Amino acid sequence: MSTHILWLIGRRLAAAVLTLLIVSVVIFAITAILPGDSAQQILGQFATPEQIEALRQQLGLNQPAIVRYLDWFGGLLSGNLGESMTNNMPVTELLQGRLGNTLMLALVTSVVSVPVALLLGITAAIYRGGRLDKCLSTLTLALVAVPEFLVATLAVLIFAVKLRWFSALSYASDVTSPLAFIRTYTLPVMTLCFVIVAQMARMTRAAVVDQLDSSYAEMARLKGLGNLRIALVHALPNAVGPIANAIALSLSYLFGGVVIVETIFNYPGIASLMVDAVTNRDIALVQACTMLFCSGYLLLVLIADVSAILSNPRLRTR
Amino acid sequence: MTDKKLISGEESVRVFEAMHRGVSRRDALRMLGAAGVMAAGAGSLFGSSSVLAAGESTAPVGKRGGSIRVAGVSSSTADTLDPAKGALSTDYTRHYMFYNGLTRFDAHLTPQMELAESMASNDATTWVVTLRKGVTFHDGKPLTSADVVFSLNRHKDAAVGSKVMKLAEQMQDIKATGPLEVTITLSGPNAELPSILAVSHMLIVAEGTTDFNKGNGTGPFKVQEFKPGVRSVAVRNENYWKPGLPYLDQIEFIAIPDEPSRVNALLAGEVHVINNVDPRSTKRIEASTTHRYVDAPSGNYTDLIIRRDQMPGQSNEFTQAMKLLLDREQIKSAVFRGFAVVGNDTPIAPGSRFFNAELPQTTYDPDKAKFLLNKAGLAGAKIPVIASEAATSSVDMAVLLQQSAKKAGLNLDVKRMPSDGYWSNHWMKHPLSFGNINPRPNADIIFSQFFQSTAPWNESGWKNERFDQLLIQARAETDDGKRGQMYAEMQTLVHDHCGIGIPVFISNIDGVDARLKGYGTNPLGGFMGYMFAEQVWMDA
Amino acid sequence: MSTSVSNPSRTSALPRITSPWRSVGAVVCLFWLVMAVIGPWLAPHDVGQVVSDDIFGPLSAQYPLGTDYMGRDMLSRMLVAARYTVGLALVAALLSSMIGTFIALAAAVSPRWLEDGICRLMDALIAIPSKMLALVIVAGFGSSVPLLIITAIIGYAPGAFRIAYSLAASLYTMEYVQVAQTRGESRLYIALREMLPNMLNPVLADLGLRFVFIVLLLSGLSFLGLGVQPPDADLGSLVRENIGGLSQGAAALIAPALAIGTLTVGVNLLIDRISSHRNGR
Repeated sequence: MSTHILWLIGRRLAAAVLTLLIVSVVIFAITAILPGDSAQQILGQFATPEQIEALRQQLGLNQPAIVRYLDWFGGLLSGNLGESMTNNMPVTELLQGRLGNTLMLALVTSVVSVPVALLLGITAAIYRGGRLDKCLSTLTLALVAVPEFLVATLAVLIFAVKLRWFSALSYASDVTSPLAFIRTYTLPVMTLCFVIVAQMARMTRAAVVDQLDSSYAEMARLKGLGNLRIALVHALPNAVGPIANAIALSLSYLFGGVVIVETIFNYPGIASLMVDAVTNRDIALVQACTMLFCSGYLLLVLIADVSAILSNPRLRTR
Repeated sequence: MTDKKLISGEESVRVFEAMHRGVSRRDALRMLGAAGVMAAGAGSLFGSSSVLAAGESTAPVGKRGGSIRVAGVSSSTADTLDPAKGALSTDYTRHYMFYNGLTRFDAHLTPQMELAESMASNDATTWVVTLRKGVTFHDGKPLTSADVVFSLNRHKDAAVGSKVMKLAEQMQDIKATGPLEVTITLSGPNAELPSILAVSHMLIVAEGTTDFNKGNGTGPFKVQEFKPGVRSVAVRNENYWKPGLPYLDQIEFIAIPDEPSRVNALLAGEVHVINNVDPRSTKRIEASTTHRYVDAPSGNYTDLIIRRDQMPGQSNEFTQAMKLLLDREQIKSAVFRGFAVVGNDTPIAPGSRFFNAELPQTTYDPDKAKFLLNKAGLAGAKIPVIASEAATSSVDMAVLLQQSAKKAGLNLDVKRMPSDGYWSNHWMKHPLSFGNINPRPNADIIFSQFFQSTAPWNESGWKNERFDQLLIQARAETDDGKRGQMYAEMQTLVHDHCGIGIPVFISNIDGVDARLKGYGTNPLGGFMGYMFAEQVWMDA
Repeated sequence: MSTSVSNPSRTSALPRITSPWRSVGAVVCLFWLVMAVIGPWLAPHDVGQVVSDDIFGPLSAQYPLGTDYMGRDMLSRMLVAARYTVGLALVAALLSSMIGTFIALAAAVSPRWLEDGICRLMDALIAIPSKMLALVIVAGFGSSVPLLIITAIIGYAPGAFRIAYSLAASLYTMEYVQVAQTRGESRLYIALREMLPNMLNPVLADLGLRFVFIVLLLSGLSFLGLGVQPPDADLGSLVRENIGGLSQGAAALIAPALAIGTLTVGVNLLIDRISSHRNGR
């Protein structure tokens, strides 16, 4: 059985490499299609044609796209992610601090949001149709319906400007004590939770309800088992697949989708780096960020699928 | 130390207007014409600022110590400490922390001597620059003429990617004629060289520098940390050549692109200075007893570009009609809440030197516009107008123009383009679009860069021989009165024939912690023309 | 477990909503639908017209929802915005959920190699930055309403696929599906008649959220130049452009935020009701 899982993981890792390859080609093609190249972007509004030409020469942008791609790919194979075109710094150096920041924010947000979402979802499922269920689902929906930038700005206005409890800016580097940690992370984590808890909670509820309505749950109920027990012992394991996938999807948002939170709280992470890179047509950096984001996502999906298989023996034969 | 120039925070618009027309530059030019030698050292023309800045009260001397955090508007991996490549206000501000120029703008855009002790010329074509003695770079290397030659010659190399390549091209020959003497030969006479050398791109770097991330300049602060897209930390240069300056121990410089967040960070006490405050946020800052806003009129404008080399802009009637359809007062009040000065379709801002006040002000007149449009056969036409967030407030201005045009029966179709790539892909490339031009230090630079027929950024693509002649003549003209007449005529030509509509000049608004003293204004831009670093102190 | 789970909903694949007035969700949705249809004609002022010198003005008889950051009538702007938001988000959400679900079903019943191929493609799509996609679309095709919908679909269909695929893969192993296979039913039949009805609840729950995300996405896209062209706007953009009024609690900010809130809750309550109708055999 465990060899089967290992075999599956191995196969998925191989597939992941393939996916990454596809993504890198697509990204390269897209950056080639996008009007304006990094020479134009770097030189900006007041560039002269000869400067653009000179910079293109310097950056090797005059070479055909295929050659540039192979160049980049060759570098990748030898472990070199390349240099940023905008400031000539190695991409790895640009990523270093920021990757840690992104992972930290993602980790803290996951630790807070996943249990909350599961709790809300399962509770709502057990009391489905009841008043508590309705309250919970309306509440989570109302929260997700508020635009992220509004939540963040409002939170800063109240907790940082008026009450001065937490800081309006979040520097990962300023964290030296647990108190500083709370001051720094509370507002961004809260904002992100608003965004992702609803999706996870609703999917959890829907999946558990589906199982609770099935005939085996009916049977268990006839046997006199309590709702809570049925939900946790019988329904939940069967619902792990969709729940884990919903969680993986939501959490993958924490890598590349947190631009607004990074911007408002001035938190240096990967998402804003990627936006910069796209704006500057900085191909090596775009590739590196996308690869990171994509690997993170594939890893999450893999974890989700493995947990689905482990909880549902029938999938193992697939 | 006479060069120490402090602008008190209370200085404002009035001073700007009065001084901008002040006597200093006129004297300079008269000297140039009469005596043949201009701008000697201290006590003479440019050297001693206390003589020139007669209208200013002597500012109090600040306190030493303290560190502040400052938030600008943009930060990305493109942040640079190479002065030649500076693209944004955040770059310029950093550059003035770490480097000095040969000259420096005061609060009235008059160039003062900085690393240059004097600049002398007989004919405004050959200039001899004498450098200050005893100035050292942060790494201990003394400043010599070789550094200046290196710094200025860089701009002419296309591979460097300098933002002022066009401007630098007129410096035909730059050579060291002594350890502390540089001779610059221009391709034609230009009395404005001292102000050209004062722009941030022309700041002086050490000879042979290749890694600019160390910020090795002669400036008031040294680089402690510089992470593009994250922050920079500047610490006091203890060996700064201006005794007693700077006041602050440390300046941390970050960027918060989102305006409400920037204001929130200021009001939460986490940053001490911000720029680019939305006029709508001034009330919030006013309401805080521990903060204030500083409003500085500037030469910054967002303009309607009507291409004169394409239809419909080829029609004179159409071009005139579009200018008549700009409801300037409404743009000033609705878009800028009054923090702007109405413009008259010439790039010289009211209050600036050489501003032609006699030119009749164009006002909103839909009836006349309708008449002209009918005459041009364009009544009821549907014409796209391109705008983008990249050009400050142009989307809002386009929407207002659309409304005003409706009253003249003209149907404008507003097309908002992404900021991303706007300048390379859309700017100047459509019959009707918007652009934005940051303040330039003098009339010659504005006209040469954006209105000369052959200028690469001749936004509207107009061609006017008379204008081009006047531009060249004015550079060599040493009589200020005659020069003023030339600039007045050039403005009339631009106003009447060019395809540029300039509805307003936009003021800069900064937000400042009330404990920060010495914080003034400069028409060049926010952050005191990006030069606040060495002039402000904390009065805690 | 039990094979009797099969086909619970064949009779109620299309739920009957006999009395919409009993459902808050349906009422709210109906309200917004009506607004989307007739709203622009009710607008008292032109959507781009500056009507007042007072920005972020309060609710008043003259301007029932106050004025915006330039002094325009907020009610008129909301009425125009509602049409765009409801129309665009509804179409885009429905399409992305449908497309995602059908691709998922197709993948689940396909041969192994095809299934893998589809999964890789979808994973790759999720990994492409949406900003990049939007920029390419604006640059290549300009900005128009159909393109906006296409962008939203490319952005959100892969997510819908992920959810649906995890359900479908799980269902495919169920006995009743295997029984149908041994019966010799076609793949199409199995996908549509055996599997689809049993995964509709989570898919619908996902649809409701996808709708919200697309409403919010629109405001982000308009920032990139791919969106409703000014002076028109969508509800999310109205919130964004009036964010400056937050500290004074401006109606211009609260009204569109509330509108998005009610729309979201309404749509999801309606979906919940449809789900429970399906279950309430």
